[in-house]
Amino acid sequence: MNSSATEQAVKQPNNEFPKKRMRLGRHRGLIIALVAFTSLFLLVDIISPGPISYFEISFLSSGGTTLALAAVGETIVILSGGFDLSAGAVISLVNAVVASNMDPTDMNASVPLWTFIGICIGALAGAFNGFFIAFLRLQPIVVTLSTMFIVQGITLLVMDKPGGFVSPSLGNFYMGDAIPEFLPMSIILLGVVILLWLWIKNTRFGIGIYAIGSDPESARSTGLRVDWIRFGVYVLAGAFYGMAGVFISAQTGSGDPLVGNPLLLQIFAAVVLGGARLGGGRGGCVGSIFGAYILMMVVNVLLVLNISAYFATIAEGVILILAVLGSSVSRDSILAQHIRDLRSRIAAFMAGTLPRKLGSKNTRLKLPGITDTKGQNNTVVVPGFLSRHAETLRYALPAYICFILVILVTQLVLGNALFSWNYYNSLIVLSSFLAILALGQGTVILTGGLDLSIPWTIGLCGILLAGMVKGSDEALIYALPLVLFIGCLIGVINGLGIVFLGISPIVMTLATNGVLQGLALIYSGGTPDGFSSPMLRWFMTSKDYGVTPVVFLVALLAVVAVLLLGRTPFGRRVYAIGNGQRVAELSGINVDVTIVLVYALSGLCAAIVGVLLTGFSGQASLGMGDEYLLPSIAVVVVGGALITGGRGHYLGMLGGVFLLTSLLTLLAGTTLPYATRAILFGLVVLGAVIALRERRT
Amino acid sequence: MRLVSKVASIAMIAIFALGLTSIPTDAAAKKYKIFLSMSFIGNDWQAEAANMVKAMALHKNLADKVDLQIQVAGPNAQRQIQQINAMVQAGADAIVVYPISPTALNSVVKNACARGVLIFAYDGSISEPCAYNISIDQLEAGRVTAEWLVKKLDGKGDIIVITGVPGVSVDTLRTKAAKDVFAKHPGINIVAESVGMWSQAVARTELSKILATRNWDSIDGLWMQVGCYTANAMQLESGKKPADLMPCAGEGANGGRIQMLPIGTEVEGASSPYAPLNAPRISYASPPYSGGYALKLAVAKLDGKDVPQEIVLPLPIVTNETIQLCNEGTWAEMKAGCNAFLPSIVPNPGWFASIFSENTPEIGLNGALVGQPEL
Repeated sequence: MNSSATEQAVKQPNNEFPKKRMRLGRHRGLIIALVAFTSLFLLVDIISPGPISYFEISFLSSGGTTLALAAVGETIVILSGGFDLSAGAVISLVNAVVASNMDPTDMNASVPLWTFIGICIGALAGAFNGFFIAFLRLQPIVVTLSTMFIVQGITLLVMDKPGGFVSPSLGNFYMGDAIPEFLPMSIILLGVVILLWLWIKNTRFGIGIYAIGSDPESARSTGLRVDWIRFGVYVLAGAFYGMAGVFISAQTGSGDPLVGNPLLLQIFAAVVLGGARLGGGRGGCVGSIFGAYILMMVVNVLLVLNISAYFATIAEGVILILAVLGSSVSRDSILAQHIRDLRSRIAAFMAGTLPRKLGSKNTRLKLPGITDTKGQNNTVVVPGFLSRHAETLRYALPAYICFILVILVTQLVLGNALFSWNYYNSLIVLSSFLAILALGQGTVILTGGLDLSIPWTIGLCGILLAGMVKGSDEALIYALPLVLFIGCLIGVINGLGIVFLGISPIVMTLATNGVLQGLALIYSGGTPDGFSSPMLRWFMTSKDYGVTPVVFLVALLAVVAVLLLGRTPFGRRVYAIGNGQRVAELSGINVDVTIVLVYALSGLCAAIVGVLLTGFSGQASLGMGDEYLLPSIAVVVVGGALITGGRGHYLGMLGGVFLLTSLLTLLAGTTLPYATRAILFGLVVLGAVIALRERRT
Repeated sequence: MRLVSKVASIAMIAIFALGLTSIPTDAAAKKYKIFLSMSFIGNDWQAEAANMVKAMALHKNLADKVDLQIQVAGPNAQRQIQQINAMVQAGADAIVVYPISPTALNSVVKNACARGVLIFAYDGSISEPCAYNISIDQLEAGRVTAEWLVKKLDGKGDIIVITGVPGVSVDTLRTKAAKDVFAKHPGINIVAESVGMWSQAVARTELSKILATRNWDSIDGLWMQVGCYTANAMQLESGKKPADLMPCAGEGANGGRIQMLPIGTEVEGASSPYAPLNAPRISYASPPYSGGYALKLAVAKLDGKDVPQEIVLPLPIVTNETIQLCNEGTWAEMKAGCNAFLPSIVPNPGWFASIFSENTPEIGLNGALVGQPEL
C-alpha cells in the first residue's frame, strides 16, 4: 500500500504542476470523505420532505459529534502506527462516572469542571495504555484489548445498570446554540478540535506522530524520543475519548454502562473512511470527522429511502464500500493500477514476452549447503533445535506457561482439573472453535490484514447447514461441502475486494459482515429453522470412552496448520508478504493471489466453525458467531503473532486459545461478579503478554 | 479535473442508490405515519417481535389506518438517537421503539414529544415521563422464578445461575430479585454463575465450562434467564434419564415448553431433545407480542382514546401443571389455554413461545412466525 506514495515521490520532477497534484493527492482521503459527506447530505436533503431547517442541522451535527470526537482520538493512535480497542469502553466509563457522581439536585453543575474530569479520566485510561505500549513495548492491540475488558469491568462496578443523572447545564451547553438559529455548539466544539489538531500537527510532537507512524526506526535514528511520543499519543487519544464521553453524557442526560461499547467498529470505519492508513503515517483528523458524519448520515439515508430492516445491514455495507471506492476513481488508485497491469499483461501475452514464454532455465543461486559439502564437516554446522527456534519459542512459550498456571489455579480453586481427563476433554472441545478460527484469522494477520467478517460467516454457514440437513445425516453429504464452499467464496470475495479494489481489509470485511448478516436474515426470515444431524451432534457432544470426537479434529488441525504455514510454499509466501509486501512482490511472489487465498482460508475456517457450532448447540441461531470476533484476534496476538504481520507460529496461537479458554472456564466456575471477571481477564491477558514485549533495537 | 470526475462518480453512485428502492408515494395521505425503531435484528426474540408488529399493522382493523416503516438501529444507542430524530423529521405521528437504553434516549424522546410525536417503548422502558412504556415487571419475573426453584428444591441445594447481558436493566433487575430470594434461604448455594447473553448457544458454552470441573450429579437445580432447553439437552447427552432431569427456572423458548409435556405425548415433528420429557420447569419470558401491542395502543391514542402511560404486562408463566400443546396456534386456541407449539410448525426450539395476550386478538402464531395477522 506504500507503493503509491513512493511512486509519487519518484515521479515528482521540479516543476509547479506535479507539486500541486501531489498536495492534492496527499489529501485525497480527506477530499473523498468531504465529497461523500456532501453528496449524502444533499441526497438526504433532496429526498426528504421539506427543506432542511436549522433545527435539523443542529440535531445532525450533535448526533455525530460523539463518534467524531472518538474517531479523532483513534486517528491520532492510528497515525502513530498503533491501534486502540479501548475507545468505546472509555466512553462508557466517563459517561458512567459523570452520571453517577453528579449531584441530582444541582441543576447548574459546572460545565468546565465536569468536562475536565471527563477528559482526565479518558487521559488516565490512555496513560495506562501508553505506559504498556510505549515503555514496556507491548503490542497495542493486546494492551488496548485488556484495557477494554478492565475498563468495562470498572464501568460496571461504577454503575451496574442504566441510570444516574447528568445536570441539564451540561446538555444546554453542548447541545445548545453558539449563535442562536445559526451555529450549533457542537460544530464550534468540532471546530475547536480541528484547530487544536492543526496546531498539534505542526508542533514537534505532531511531526513526531507522523514520523513514528511512517517508520519508527528512522524516527528513532533522527533523535525523536519515540517512547514519549507514543505515550503522549495514547494520553491524547484518551483525552478525546473522555471528551466524547462528556459529550454523550450531555446529549443523553444520564448514564448507561454499555453506551460506548458498540461504537468501536464504527470508530474504525470512520477513521478509514476519513482516509487514514492503518499502520500509520498517512491521514488526518479532519477526514475522520467527516467519516464519522458519513456513518451517522447513513441512518438518515436508510430511513429516507425506506430500506427494509432485513436489507439495512446490506445497504450499510454497500454504502461503506462505495464511499471508500471513491478513491478508486483516480489514476494512481489500486484499481486503476490493476487495470493497467492487466492491459500490459495482455499485451505481453500477445507479443509473446510473458516470462513463462521465454523458456525456462534454472537460474537459482547455488548456496553452500550440507549437500554440497560432503566430506567437509567444518564448513556448515547445523544449529541445535533450541537455537534454531529460539525466536518462535520466545514468543510462543509465554502463552503455554500462563496456561499451565491457570490450570494449577483451577485445581486449587475448583478442584477436578489437573488430573481429570474430563477437564481436558471439555477444554479441548470448547477450544476447538477458536483453534480453527486462529488458523484463518492468524494467517490473515500474518499477512498484515484482519478479517472482521468472521461473525456472520459463522452465522450464515451454520444457518445454511442446519436449514439444509434438517436433522438428516444423508443430507450432510452434500450440505457440508456446499457450506464449506460458500465459506471459501465469502473469503475470496473479501480477498478480491482488498486486492483489486484496494479497499482496506477492515472496511472490506466489515462491509462483508453486514451483507452476510442481511443475507442470513433474508434466508431465515428472522427465525432460522432446521437442526444439526445426529452425526454432527455426536461429533461435538458425545463422550465415547471419555473422548469427544472433535478432539481428534483439533489435533489433526494443529498438524495441518503447522505444516501449512511452516513447510509449504504458501506458508512461506504468507510470511514474506507480512514482512514486506513490496519486497515479496519484487521477489516474484504473486502477492494478489496469495492474499485472496489467505482470506479464502479464513472464510473456510469460519465456515467449519459455523458447522461445528451448529453441531455443538444442536441448532443454528442468528448472531451465534458474534462472540468469536475479538477472541479470534486476541488468541492470535497472545500466542505471539505480530498484528502488523510477518511473525507468529500456529502452535503459539494454539497456546493462546488454550490460555483464554481455560481462563474463561476458571472464571465461569466461580461466583465472582461479571465486573470483577472482566477486570481479572484483562489483567491476566496483559500479564501473559508482558513476556512478549519487543526487544529494544 | 480529478475532483470533477470524483464528484461525477459519486453522483452516479447516489443515483444508483436511489434507483435501488422506489420512493414511497404519498397515496396514503390520511394514514397515520408510524415508525418502528428496532435495536438489533440478529436474534430470535427481536425478529419475532418485529414480525408481530408487522402482523398487527397488516390486520384489517389497522391496515387502512397505519403506514408502518421499520428501521433497525443496531446495538448502538447513538444511532437510535439519530434514527428517532430522523423519524420525527420525516413527519412521524408515532414511533414504536425497542429502547437500546432506558436513559440514553431521554432527551431525544423529550424532543419528539415536544413536537407532538407519540413514543411507545416496548419490552424495555424509557425513563422520560412522556414516553409510553409497555413491559413486564422484571423484578417480579426474577422473584417468581426463584421462589419456584426454592420450593422445588425444598429450600436446599446447589444451583447454577446463568444471567443475561451484564449492564442491561432487565438483566440486573431479574438477577437481583432472584438473588434476594436465594439469600433468604441459607440452604440454597449458588455454586457457579455465568453470563449467558440470553442465547441458547452461549448458555451451552457457559454450562460446558462450568461442567469441565463439575458433573451434573453435584448440582441440584438451575436458574437461567435463557438456556433451560439446552441444559436439559446436555443432561440427556451426559446419560441422564428424562426422569432425572433437574428443575430449571428459565425462559419461554418453545423447545423448553415441548420438553415440559408429559412423556408419551403425541407431538408432530418432535425428535429428542426437542421432544416431551416431562422436564420440571417454570417457563417465563418477556413476551414478544409487546411490540405489536404497543403499535395497537399507539393507534388507539392517535384515534383519541385514553392510554395509560405505564402498562405492566402480566408475567406469562407456564409450569408443568399449566403446559398445553396447541394444534394450529390461532389466537382463539391460545385463549383456550394452550401455550406450546408443534415442532413441525416451529422448527426452531429457541423460538419464544409467549406470544399470547388477551389484548391482541389480531395476532397469533402466524403473526410471530411470518408476520401474517389473524383473519
